[in-house]
Amino acid sequence: MNLNQLTILLADDDTDDCFFFREAIAKLFPSANFSAVHNGEELMHLLNKETHNLPNLLFLDLNMPRKNGFECLAEIKQNDRLKAVPVIVFSTSLEQEMVNLLYNTGAQYFIRKPSEFAQLKKLILHTITLILQNNITQPAKEQFVLTAERGRATEET
Amino acid sequence: MAKIIETDEDKLSIVNKELLFQIKEKEKKEAELIIANKELAFQNEEKEKRAAELIIANKELAFQNEEKEKRAAELIIANKELAFQNEEKEKRAAELVIANKELLAFTYISSHDLQEPLRKIQTFVTIILENETENLSEKGKYNFQRMQIAASRMQQLIDDLLAFSRINATDLQFETADLNQIIEEAKNELRDTILEKNATIEVTEICTVNVISFQFRQLVNNLLSNALKFSHPDRPSHIIIKSSIVKGSKLKGLTLSPDKTYCHIIFTDNGIGFEPHFSERIFGVFQKLHSKEVYEGTGIGLAIVKKIVENHNGIIIASGELDKGAQFDIYIPA
Repeated sequence: MNLNQLTILLADDDTDDCFFFREAIAKLFPSANFSAVHNGEELMHLLNKETHNLPNLLFLDLNMPRKNGFECLAEIKQNDRLKAVPVIVFSTSLEQEMVNLLYNTGAQYFIRKPSEFAQLKKLILHTITLILQNNITQPAKEQFVLTAERGRATEET
Repeated sequence: MAKIIETDEDKLSIVNKELLFQIKEKEKKEAELIIANKELAFQNEEKEKRAAELIIANKELAFQNEEKEKRAAELIIANKELAFQNEEKEKRAAELVIANKELLAFTYISSHDLQEPLRKIQTFVTIILENETENLSEKGKYNFQRMQIAASRMQQLIDDLLAFSRINATDLQFETADLNQIIEEAKNELRDTILEKNATIEVTEICTVNVISFQFRQLVNNLLSNALKFSHPDRPSHIIIKSSIVKGSKLKGLTLSPDKTYCHIIFTDNGIGFEPHFSERIFGVFQKLHSKEVYEGTGIGLAIVKKIVENHNGIIIASGELDKGAQFDIYIPA
């Protein structure tokens, strides 16, 4: 995959988080094609358009109006056309139960939104590198959650 | 004639005798009647006496009946009052349970939702520091750093509050666990600090415990890291953990059931200790005895420890002496 043709889609209803993400992508992959949608319905509408090129990566917030991130993930993984898109869940809170559910539903990684911009960039870079290396194989459960503290996969209980 | 007279006289005499006899008989009967009458009169009198006594007894009985009925009525009222009070107590208990749950939910939700805006403040601060450093004066940079420190402090408080609210009594999965293993795991987790403090952790006479494993692991972890954190600067930290099975009846003065047996676990350290009058206060949420510049932390660790012990239907007692050390005595049902 050519980094310059990288298409990244973010689904997050929060303006600030979209801004942070856009800023980070602009610094890490200036030539990547980045776009954002702001709720689950909008996301599914966009993905289901036949004419739309599917993104290489989808970063998905959980708590969104109209259709939440988990519902979107389940729909994507049940859809033959969409299920190959790697979905990285991008959320504020880390609840083990939710994490298990997301893993079993087929999410690729779980990122806890960090509180420092440098960590955000590090996490995005790390995730994209992992996905480009391993393509779309779901990692082992212990490597599913990526947290900022150590910049690598860590298990939290 | 004479003969006739004689004969008549004889007859008269006989008649007279007869009459005399009859008169005597009558007199006898009269006398008997008088006696019988007297007897009757006496019996009547007796009967009347008895009747009067019966009337009195009846009256007494009626009075006693009335009293009994009064008492019964009073009992019914008292019973109703008791039933009402019981009902009220149950209502209050139910309300307390609900209020407690609401409080926990509130703590959880508020601390959870507070994370979001705080995280943004922190991210914006770091973006400014990363992109605009050259545009900031030294004073401006300093202020930004102080802002960052305050924000991470708030983050720590929120994280700890969340951790505290997660320790609830709803998922009580008790199991028999090896306390040795739990201590071993905690020691492993704190390995770096143990090395840094040159600490010795002595574990003796350990019994198996009936606990909610993940909560008890956190309890041991919190108590050990507490002992390590408050170790004395002039001597290497020495922590002793002991346990034994004791009968509740032997533990006088403690609010424990005398018919139960308890596992008594003791954590002793030779750290900086504390003044004895702080022995209750140290278990309060966000209670600290030192400023955060001297000993970092939010003061939630021992509050969590206490909550965990209470979830195990046990008690914990802290005792300390300034500059000598501290001891924590835990009693949980064996």
